[in-house]
Amino acid sequence: MQITFEKLGFTYQPGTPLAFTALKDVSFTIAEHSYTAIVGHTGSGKSTLIQHLNGLLKPTTGTVQIGEQVITSATSNKDLNKLRRKVGYVFQFPEAQLFEETVLKDIEFAPLNFGYSPKEARQIAIEQAQAVQLPTDVWEKSPFELSGGQMRRVAIAGILAMKPEVLVLDEPTAGLDPQGSREIMSLFQRLHQEQGLTIVLVTHNMNDVADYADHVVVLEKGTVVGDGQPREIFADPQWLTDHHLGLPQTTAFAYQLQQRGFVFTEGLPLTEKQLAHELAMMLKGGNNQ
Amino acid sequence: MNKLLLGRYIHADSFVHKLDARAKLFLSFYFIVIIFLCNNWQTYTLLGILTLVSVVCSKIKLKFFWDGIRPLVWLIIFTVVLQLFFSSGGHVYWQWGIFRITSLGIENAIYIFCRFVLIVCMSTLLTLTTPPLQIADGMEALMKPLKKVKVPVDEIALMLSIALRFVPTLMDETTKIMNAQRSRGVNFEEGSLWHRAKMLVPLLIPLFVSSFNRAEDLAIAMEARGYRGGSHRTKYRQQVWHRNDTLVMMLFAVVTGLLIYLRK
Repeated sequence: MQITFEKLGFTYQPGTPLAFTALKDVSFTIAEHSYTAIVGHTGSGKSTLIQHLNGLLKPTTGTVQIGEQVITSATSNKDLNKLRRKVGYVFQFPEAQLFEETVLKDIEFAPLNFGYSPKEARQIAIEQAQAVQLPTDVWEKSPFELSGGQMRRVAIAGILAMKPEVLVLDEPTAGLDPQGSREIMSLFQRLHQEQGLTIVLVTHNMNDVADYADHVVVLEKGTVVGDGQPREIFADPQWLTDHHLGLPQTTAFAYQLQQRGFVFTEGLPLTEKQLAHELAMMLKGGNNQ
Repeated sequence: MNKLLLGRYIHADSFVHKLDARAKLFLSFYFIVIIFLCNNWQTYTLLGILTLVSVVCSKIKLKFFWDGIRPLVWLIIFTVVLQLFFSSGGHVYWQWGIFRITSLGIENAIYIFCRFVLIVCMSTLLTLTTPPLQIADGMEALMKPLKKVKVPVDEIALMLSIALRFVPTLMDETTKIMNAQRSRGVNFEEGSLWHRAKMLVPLLIPLFVSSFNRAEDLAIAMEARGYRGGSHRTKYRQQVWHRNDTLVMMLFAVVTGLLIYLRK
């Protein structure tokens, strides 16, 4: 499903003294099957923006088109419910949404809400528990007995159980240890590659952006200030600093090399692989001074 | 919930806002006591004027006072109707079975109505002009004497301030969890009463869990910094008694004197 934002504006508590414009004149497109990262400083409107993706917020002005469905300020709540089935939304610290007695029961909550029979829902729950690599011995345990990383997997499985076409991730690795983060991120990468899920990732971690995303949107103060491929966005470190963003580790390293005289013909590399490749080429070719 | 606890305080630079929270708290309670001294139209008029003057001095729009009364409208109507139909004494205008309207009944109904409106206006004035934390501090100060009879005043005050402090946090959390469950296909707005009651479970359980976790974290954080309730604590927000506070107290004393003189 392609997602298009068209002159989207959103104001919290409009018409009151507390009115706050979180987004204004936001226009960009998320292609089907893409892996889009939305980055920006705290308070830049990222969370507000992605809440439009499954109708938790309705635009104050402008439109959001998701697949065939166009959402404006006048869209009814019933139509929004249909949308929620297609767009899975993994909140920040999603383990806060767990409530059932057992892990499997919690995972089958969404399918049951969307009208699957108990038998089908159980089948889906088992599939998803396997997909997020939850060991079978915790399936019948209370989700509150699990470790932080496992709780997060249960919560994510609970979202995947809706069989969404678009997966929205709001800082999915916040508070996890490095290994847990890597495992979760490669799970999403697998879903993206194997099932063609469109992924929208909100993150502060530029390494994740460099490693996984194929499209980056930079927000600042509620407007889009950058929209392009990671290589384009990360090509200008000064611009990133001006917008309070960092560089991926590899790119920062490459940038220092560049300042010492290395020339990267295809722009600054983003991943270790690219860097190694380019360095090897250069050393062989003897381009460096 | 928002209307009840939070959205109440309205910032303005007025005489009433600047009064000490202790004075305002004490006088609000005192007002409820003296209103029971009223028993004729002169006395009610006197307190009516007092209330009106206080309201005007607060520079807050009358609409907000109406918002304070509105939730209680049914209670007021119920009490007034009860007084109107079931009082006895005085001239009987109308009678039907056990219902009767008498001159005394009408009089009582009007007085009860006035009493309600005046009390609500005065208490609303307190919450509109005093930030919640100042009210908590004021309560603590006023409850001090109870320490003599072993009432855990510091602990009560601490509980009160913590509760007030966490209302916004809890509301954010509620919104977050509601959104998360909405994304999993829960519809909080539609469906039968039974369905909607059932849908509170996925909301309340996560809320309880996170509240307990938060409470535990807070307790650990306080103990780690050596918190002890009790007499040796100093305060960041100092309460200062001004001359105006004394003046207002004296005004109320004068009004009390007048009341006693005017009542039947």
